[in-house]
Amino acid sequence: MENRPLEYDYTVAKMFMLTTIALGIVGMLIGVILAFELAFPGINTILGSGLAEFTNFSRLRPLHTDSVIFGFTVSGIFATWYYVGQRVLKVSMAESSLLMFLGKLQFWLYVITVAAVVVSLLAGETTSKEYAEFEWPIDIAIVVVWVLFGVNMFGLIGLRREKSLYISVWYYIATFLGIAMLYLFNNMEVPTWLATSAAGETHIGDWFHSVSMYAGTNDALVQWWYGHNAVAFGFTVPIVAMIYYFLPKESGQAIYSYKLSLLSFWGLMFVYLWAGGHHLLYSTVPDWVQTMGSIFSVVLILPSWGSAINMLLTMKGEWQQVAASPLIKFMVLGSTFYMFSTLEGPIQAIKSVNAIAHFTDWIVGHVHDGVLGWVGFMIMAALYHMAPRVFKREIYSKSLMASQFWIQTLGVVLYFTSMWIAGITQGMMWRAHDEFGNLAYSFIDTVTVLHPYYAIRGVGGLLYLTGFLMFAYNIYKTMTAGKRLDSEPANASPMGA
Amino acid sequence: MFHWLEKHPFFFAVGVFAAIAFAGLVEIVPNFAQQSRPVIGTTPYSTLELAGRQVYIKNSCNACHSQLIRPFKSETDRYGHYSLSGEYAYDRPFLWGSKRTGPDLHRVGNYRTTDWHENHMKDPAAIVPGSIMPKYTWLYKNVTDIDTAFAEQLTDAQFFAVPYNKPVPMKDGSTKIVKLGKSVAEANAMALAEAKIVAKDMKDQDIKDAIASGKIPEIVALIAYLNSLK
Amino acid sequence: MFSVEFQAYGYFAVTVFMTVALYAYIYHLYKNRKDADGHDYEEYSNMALHDGIEDTPVNSLPKDDKK
Repeated sequence: MENRPLEYDYTVAKMFMLTTIALGIVGMLIGVILAFELAFPGINTILGSGLAEFTNFSRLRPLHTDSVIFGFTVSGIFATWYYVGQRVLKVSMAESSLLMFLGKLQFWLYVITVAAVVVSLLAGETTSKEYAEFEWPIDIAIVVVWVLFGVNMFGLIGLRREKSLYISVWYYIATFLGIAMLYLFNNMEVPTWLATSAAGETHIGDWFHSVSMYAGTNDALVQWWYGHNAVAFGFTVPIVAMIYYFLPKESGQAIYSYKLSLLSFWGLMFVYLWAGGHHLLYSTVPDWVQTMGSIFSVVLILPSWGSAINMLLTMKGEWQQVAASPLIKFMVLGSTFYMFSTLEGPIQAIKSVNAIAHFTDWIVGHVHDGVLGWVGFMIMAALYHMAPRVFKREIYSKSLMASQFWIQTLGVVLYFTSMWIAGITQGMMWRAHDEFGNLAYSFIDTVTVLHPYYAIRGVGGLLYLTGFLMFAYNIYKTMTAGKRLDSEPANASPMGA
Repeated sequence: MFHWLEKHPFFFAVGVFAAIAFAGLVEIVPNFAQQSRPVIGTTPYSTLELAGRQVYIKNSCNACHSQLIRPFKSETDRYGHYSLSGEYAYDRPFLWGSKRTGPDLHRVGNYRTTDWHENHMKDPAAIVPGSIMPKYTWLYKNVTDIDTAFAEQLTDAQFFAVPYNKPVPMKDGSTKIVKLGKSVAEANAMALAEAKIVAKDMKDQDIKDAIASGKIPEIVALIAYLNSLK
Repeated sequence: MFSVEFQAYGYFAVTVFMTVALYAYIYHLYKNRKDADGHDYEEYSNMALHDGIEDTPVNSLPKDDKK
């Protein structure tokens, strides 16, 4: 025991890798079901009309968004932190039994919370605020999980051997702080349990029900400050943390410019939070907040592209690696999608464009080219890179990974192209007037016209899910049947045929 | 400058927090004082309406329907007057939605009737051919949770000073008082009385029987809420 | 009235200050190869590549003495 050399300990990382994959399957499967429900409404009663309440679109929709955000993505953030954090700080989890205990505690609490979320959302217990649907008891559990994550993060930083924090660590810290602030403020609510009737009765009705602290326009303002920035600190910041570590490590190329990363980081931190107002253009929030939201959304292109260009330039002179390795393909296409969706977002935030795009499927398309193309690809690439190091085995199959890449890429392309057309078609039809100034189309006209695009979108989603199942299988086979490795691979991850 | 922070995690975290908290402070705080005043004619929700609102939320109607009419001709032609901030003064949470898979509902009470909703919710495609809205058949069987709606009203009154039992100015110069039950029993009785008025316009015999036996099916509460959206 | 005027001047001053500060910082980063500790900035990029637990840190903390 005494003489064994110190090694990184990936116990907690492994646990979260498992939930990343499991909840990814759940979230994407529900997504595909939802997509087909819009194309073919009969699917709403797929388990019979007795269970229709639990399989219909509106009941499942929060479960889809939340399992992808708080299940797949957040698990991915945890899994990669417990891997990357140790390595760039040069300290092992094995060095502190307290941190190890807290890490495991965080995992089990997380699993319990996820179970509670699934049950409560299926039962229809929701606050209705997007990505903040949970009632107060679950909110408290989530805060505890998040605090444990923070304690572990700063605990590990406190024990580090490397004085300087690597770029990825900045982004992880920002993720922790950003989500903590946003989540706390948006979920301020008063449990109805506390109210007393004139007759002196208390504890009336459901004990877990609550009322939002904010009303109407204020509530909307806080919600979209949260909603927009939850995307920032859930889908952008931590994923950038991942790519800053995994792309250089897998390719063996140091990041193109450290200085550029410094500038992009602080730029992103300062600018991102201002942009939330773009979700509320032409609504009843004050005009200047709307304008601010538009302007800062456009400014946001700079720091976003700063990171993305840094990634692509890292591959300068090494493009043969992109051709040779499906793993690098995932990351390079991921950062390309990142550039793409951070350009698309600001375009949609321009007021005159937003007048057409808001409330349509174009927004749904935008979210998905970001999440499927950037977040999904990057998390899968990270897990592929981690697998040989964590399980000390070769990745099971390279050809399977390559076909997965092409199937999923096709899926994403089908998804966003169909949603672009659907969104713009619907937006234009809503506003069309005939020669006498009357509305040209009734609402239902603008629904039936979307049928083919909804069907194409469903196929796109199905392809992506298929790819994800191939990924899950590949990781499973790596764990159980991959060729054993004697030593840790330095850069490119070894793959079987 | 910023580079120094990387070696000092505590100050780094403080710096990040300052950078991200700044925007929220500037954008959100100043509006809180001004925005929450109701416009004339906006009244608090009755027990049954609020219970219906909870049914609306429980089934995530807001996933497909907005409640926000933007100030464009095409929207005011279709849905009525554009939305005003003060109309939402008693909405906790707000239900603007972010996607219109179906039409806006902010003033649906102006142009749809109890009868229409009753038939539509049972089988939307039978009323609107081509509709992709699912059938909400369970709303006709599940019993409304009036107790929780009452608890929500009490919370509104006690923590957020929502004017229950107080005269509220109306557009025609008169005032209106929305009453709050003194006890759980009274709140249930008031909700039932209101439900009877709604159910009078409904045809479904099971609904009429349920109301007669003192139970309020969720559909009745939901329709009461939708009718209040004007 | 006074406060509105003050706001306008304040807005202008803050905008100018932030623009100057931003460009000054970019220029500063562009000019300097090395940071205050004498490390080339780009050395920090290697933290991702040399991340074995036995690898030498760019900036060591005197951690092993403590233990």
